[in-house]
Amino acid sequence: MSPHLRRLLASIGLDVLRSLGIALGIVVFTFFVIRMIPGDVVDVRGLEGSLTYSQQSAMREDLGLNKAWLQQFLDWSGMILSGDLGQSARYSIPIVDLLATVLPSTILLGTTALAIGLVLGIALPTLACLYPRSVFVTLVEAITIWSITVPTFSIGITCLIVFAVWLQWIPAIGNFVVPALILAVDTAGTLAKGLYEDMKETQRAEFIRAARAKGLSRTGIVLRHVLPNALTVTIALIGLMLAGVFTGAITMEVVFGLAGLGTMTLQAIQGRDYAVVQAIIIWLGFAVILANLVTDIVRKLVDPRLRNV
Amino acid sequence: MSVDASPRTMSPGHPGLSPLTKLAVAILAVALFIALAGPFLATHDPLMFSADMNEGPSAEHLLGTDDAGQDVYSRLLIGTGLSLLYGASAALVALGVGALAALLALAFGRPTEIVLFGLVDLIRALPGILFALACIIAFEPGVGSVILALGISFAPNFALITRAAFLHQMAQPYTAAARMLGAGRTRVALVHVLPNIAGALVTQFAIILPRCIVSESVLSFLGLGVSPELPTWGRMIAGATPYLEEAPHAALAPIIALSLVTFAFAIVGNEVRQRFNISRRSVVL
Amino acid sequence: MKKILLSLAAALMLSQAAAIPATAQEPQPGGTLRLKWGTLDTTDFHRHTGTISLPHPFAETLTSISKDGSPKGLLAESWTVSEDALTYTFKIRQGVKFHNGRTMTAADVRANFERIRDNVEAGWLTTAMEQVEGFETPDDATFIVKLKAPFAPFINLIAEAWILAPESPGWDDNISHPIGTGPFTFDSWTPQLVLKGAKFADYWMEGKPYLDAVEFDVREIADSSLALRAGDYDVASIPLNKVETLEKEGFAIDFQGGTSWDFISFNNRNPRPPFDNVRIREAVAWAVDRSEFVNIMNGEYGTPGNQPVGESNFFFDAALAADDPHNHADVERAKQIIAEEGINPADYKLYMISTPGSRSGPLLSQVLRQLGFGVDMKEFDDLGYQRALSEYDWDIYPGGSGARNDIFLRYVRLMSDGPNPGLWGGIQDPELDALINKAISTPDLNASRDFYLQAWKRVMDKYYTFSLGQKPSAYAISPKVHDFTVGFNNSAHRVDGGLAFTWIEK
Repeated sequence: MSPHLRRLLASIGLDVLRSLGIALGIVVFTFFVIRMIPGDVVDVRGLEGSLTYSQQSAMREDLGLNKAWLQQFLDWSGMILSGDLGQSARYSIPIVDLLATVLPSTILLGTTALAIGLVLGIALPTLACLYPRSVFVTLVEAITIWSITVPTFSIGITCLIVFAVWLQWIPAIGNFVVPALILAVDTAGTLAKGLYEDMKETQRAEFIRAARAKGLSRTGIVLRHVLPNALTVTIALIGLMLAGVFTGAITMEVVFGLAGLGTMTLQAIQGRDYAVVQAIIIWLGFAVILANLVTDIVRKLVDPRLRNV
Repeated sequence: MSVDASPRTMSPGHPGLSPLTKLAVAILAVALFIALAGPFLATHDPLMFSADMNEGPSAEHLLGTDDAGQDVYSRLLIGTGLSLLYGASAALVALGVGALAALLALAFGRPTEIVLFGLVDLIRALPGILFALACIIAFEPGVGSVILALGISFAPNFALITRAAFLHQMAQPYTAAARMLGAGRTRVALVHVLPNIAGALVTQFAIILPRCIVSESVLSFLGLGVSPELPTWGRMIAGATPYLEEAPHAALAPIIALSLVTFAFAIVGNEVRQRFNISRRSVVL
Repeated sequence: MKKILLSLAAALMLSQAAAIPATAQEPQPGGTLRLKWGTLDTTDFHRHTGTISLPHPFAETLTSISKDGSPKGLLAESWTVSEDALTYTFKIRQGVKFHNGRTMTAADVRANFERIRDNVEAGWLTTAMEQVEGFETPDDATFIVKLKAPFAPFINLIAEAWILAPESPGWDDNISHPIGTGPFTFDSWTPQLVLKGAKFADYWMEGKPYLDAVEFDVREIADSSLALRAGDYDVASIPLNKVETLEKEGFAIDFQGGTSWDFISFNNRNPRPPFDNVRIREAVAWAVDRSEFVNIMNGEYGTPGNQPVGESNFFFDAALAADDPHNHADVERAKQIIAEEGINPADYKLYMISTPGSRSGPLLSQVLRQLGFGVDMKEFDDLGYQRALSEYDWDIYPGGSGARNDIFLRYVRLMSDGPNPGLWGGIQDPELDALINKAISTPDLNASRDFYLQAWKRVMDKYYTFSLGQKPSAYAISPKVHDFTVGFNNSAHRVDGGLAFTWIEK
C-alpha cells in the first residue's frame, strides 16, 4: 500500500472514529433528555380518561418507568447490545417492525429528492459558468430565490389542493412524486446558491488565469479545475443533507400523508414512547457516521489539494 | 481564502448598491416600520373574534378575515413585529451563546475546545425541528422556550464561525506581533480579534435570522409555536392552511410577508458579506 | 351554430340520462371499503384505555349502542335484570362462530369477562369489573353476572367488553392477534398506518357482510377532507368546519348520536384567588356568551347547553336548560359582581391551559380581558396539557370531552377518586360523590335520572365547571357507499347498522 493511500485511509479512519463518538454522544444525550420532558407513555394511554391515579402507577411499575434513570439506561444498553431494539411501549410491538414499515418510504423520498436536487444543483451553476449570458444564469437565480422565499409546507399544501383535489392527478395520500420534486427544487436551490458563488470566486483565482493562459478550453477549465475546487463547501453541505435523508422530511410527510420516519419520530416524542425515540436516534447515529464517511471520501477524492493530506 | 492581510479593509472602491439590493433594503425598512408602527395602523383588535369567518377583502376588512373571524390586515401588522422580534431574539441568543461559548473554549485551551465542539457537532447532528420541538416540550411552552430552543439549535453555526474566524485571525501577523509584545492569549482574543470577526458574525446573523423566522412558522404549523394568541406569521399560516381553498387570502398575506422578508435578508446578507470581503468558505450554512 | 348547440345539448342530456344509476336498492356484494376512522392502540382489545372505535368490526360484544343511545343485544339475544338489580341474565346468541371456526358458547363469554377482571389492571372496564360479585354459566346459552351492588351503567359499559376466542395467541399475557366473531377478520395492523380485514364467510348475520374487505387508515391526520375529495377514502370522520365543503361535492353526511361536550373548568383541587371565590366564577359565567362561543367554535352544528349531555339524551332536563339565567350573557353584571366582591381584576394574571387547535381558548381569553383580568395562556401538546392539569397549578381551562356510552362516564370524572379528573379541576366533594353513587346504584331509571340532575345542579351552583354546549362528530360518506350509518359512538359496527350492512355500488 502506498504511503499516500495509507495516510488517506488513516485520516478517513480517524473521521469515522470521530463520527462514532458523536453518534454515541447523541444516543446518551437523547436517552436522558427525553426523560426530562414532562409526562410519559402512561399519561398517553390514560389520555381518554379511564385510568385512575393508582392504575397509572401500576402501569408505570409494569413498564419499568419508575426506576432510576441510570438503571434504565443500563438495562436498555444491555438490551441494545444484544441486538434487540425493544418494544414500543405504546403499541406493544417490536420496534424493528415499526421501523421496517417507515424506512423504505423515508429513504425512497429522501434519496429521490437528494438525487434530483444534486443533479439540478450542480448542473445548473456549472452550465451558468459555462454559458455566462444564457438562460442558465437566470435559472440559477430563480431557483435560489425560490428556495429562500417559499416555505415548503405552504407550497406543499398548495400543490396538494391543485394536483390532488382539483385536477385529481395524484392521490391526496401517499404520493411521492410531488413532495420529492418540491424537496428536490429546495435542495437544488440551496446547493446552487452557494456553488454558483463559489465557482465565480474560484474563477477569479490566480491558477485559473494561469490555466487560461496555457490555452486550456473553457469547458475543460470549468469542469476540471473550477468545479472541483469550488465544491469543497458544497460537499460539506451535501453531507448534512445526506444525513437528513435518513431522518425524514417531516413537513412533507405531514402534508402528503406519507408514513415516514419524521412523523414517527414526532409521534414518538409526543407519545413519550422512549424506546422508539432511542431506536430512531441509533439509526440517526448510523446515518451520521455513514454520511460523514461518504462526504469525507468524496471530498478527498474531488479536491486536488486535499489528496496529499 | 481570499481575505486580505490587513483585516479591516473593505473591498476597494465603493460601488453603488445594485437595484436588487436597494429593493431588499427598502423591503426591510418597510418591515421595520410596520413592526414599530403596526399597533397604530391596525383597524381592528387582532385578537377579536367575529362571526364573519373566511371573508374576502372588503372595505371593512382590508385583507379579509380568517377562519376565526379575525381581521387579517391587523393581525399582519402586529404579526410582523412579533415575527421579527422573536426571530431576531432567537438569532441573537444563538449568536450570543454560540460566539461566547466558542471564544471561551478557545481561550481556555485545547481540551475545552474539543469538548465544546464535540457538543456542537452533536447538536448539529440532531434533526433541527425535532430538537427544537423536544426543547419546547421540555421547557414550558411559550415565547421564551421557543426562542431558547431555536437559539440553542442555531448556536452551533455561530460557534463554528467564531472558531474559524478566530483561528484565521490568530494566524495573521498582527496577532503574533501582539503576543510578542506580551499580550496574553485572552487579551489578544478579546481586544484584537473580536472586532475583526464581527463582520463574519454579522453576515452569519443575516443568514440565520430568516431561518429562525421560518423555523418558528414550521413549529407553529406542527402545533408547537408561541402562544396561540400571538399572530406571528407562522401562526397565521398554520391557522389559515386548512382553509386554503375557502380563504386563500388569509394564508397568502403572511406567506408573502415571510417570503419577502426572507428574500430581503438573503440579498442584504450577501451584500454585507461581499462588503466585508469574506469568502463564502468562512460562512457556515 | 344553432344546430351545433342543439346537438351538444342533446348529447349532454343523453349522457346525463346514462349517468343516472338504476334505482336498484339491492345490495351488491364485493369491493373493499377504505375508511379513515379513529386509531388503534393495541391488539389486546381488553387492554384498551380509550380508543374504543376500531375493535368493532372485528370483535363483538354482548350489547351494542344504537344511534339513540340505547343498548341492544348483539351477541346477547336478550337479557333480564332481577328486581333488586343485582343479577343480569344474558341469553347468548347461538350459532355464532369465531374466526377460527369454533362456535361461541357462554363459557367463552365468561372466560372473557374473567380475563378483563383478573388480567387487566388498568383498562377501560376496570371500574365496572370491580362491581362484580361473580359469573355463572348454567348452560351453553346462558351467562349470569352477579353484582355486589346495583350499578346502572353496567349494560352500556359492556358494549365495550369484547368477546374474543381464548385461543387467541397471547391470551395469557398480551393478545397479539385477536380472534373475534365480527363480520371481518383482523388480518393485519401496522401501527399508525393501516388496519386491514377480510370478509368472514361464516358470520352469524345471514348474508352479511356484503363487502369483501375493509381497510382503515389509522394515522393521526387532522383533516381528511382533502383525501376524501381526491378519492382516497370512501368514508371518513371529518371536522365540522368541512361539512359544508363536502356536502357541496356530493358526500352524504352522518352525525354520531352521542355528542362531545365543551366546557370551562376551574381549578377545584387547589382553588386560588380570584377563583377561590365562587362569585367571581359566577361573574365569568355571566360574561361568557354560550351561543357566541358555540357558534364560533362549531358553526351551525354546535348546540349551546348547560348540561353534560345533549337534548335527545334521556338524562337531559329541558326545564333545567330553559331556566338557566346564563343562557344570556350579561357583561355588565359580571363586572358589577367583581366590583361588589372588592376584586381588582388588573391585579390578577390568570393562568389558562390550552391545547393546539382549541378555539375556546382565545375566545375565553378575550372575555377575561374584557373583564379586566390579565391572561397567561399556555398551549401544551396533547400529553402536556393532561399533565399540567393534574398539577392543579392553574386557574381556568376551556376543555372538551368526547361522546360516552353511558352518562356515568361523564359523572365519574367529577368524583373525588375518579379517573383523570384534571379536566374538571379535580373536584373533591363528598356530597357530590354521594349523589352520583346514589344515581348509579338505584335500579329505577327515573330515580337515577333525578339523582344525576341533583348532582349536576350542585356542580352548577358551585361553578365547578361551566358547560358551553354539545357538538356532534361528523362523518362524510362517498355517494357510492350505501347503507352505512353511524351509531351513538364511533363504533363502526352495531346490531342495527354499520359495516355489516354496507355495500358499494359498482
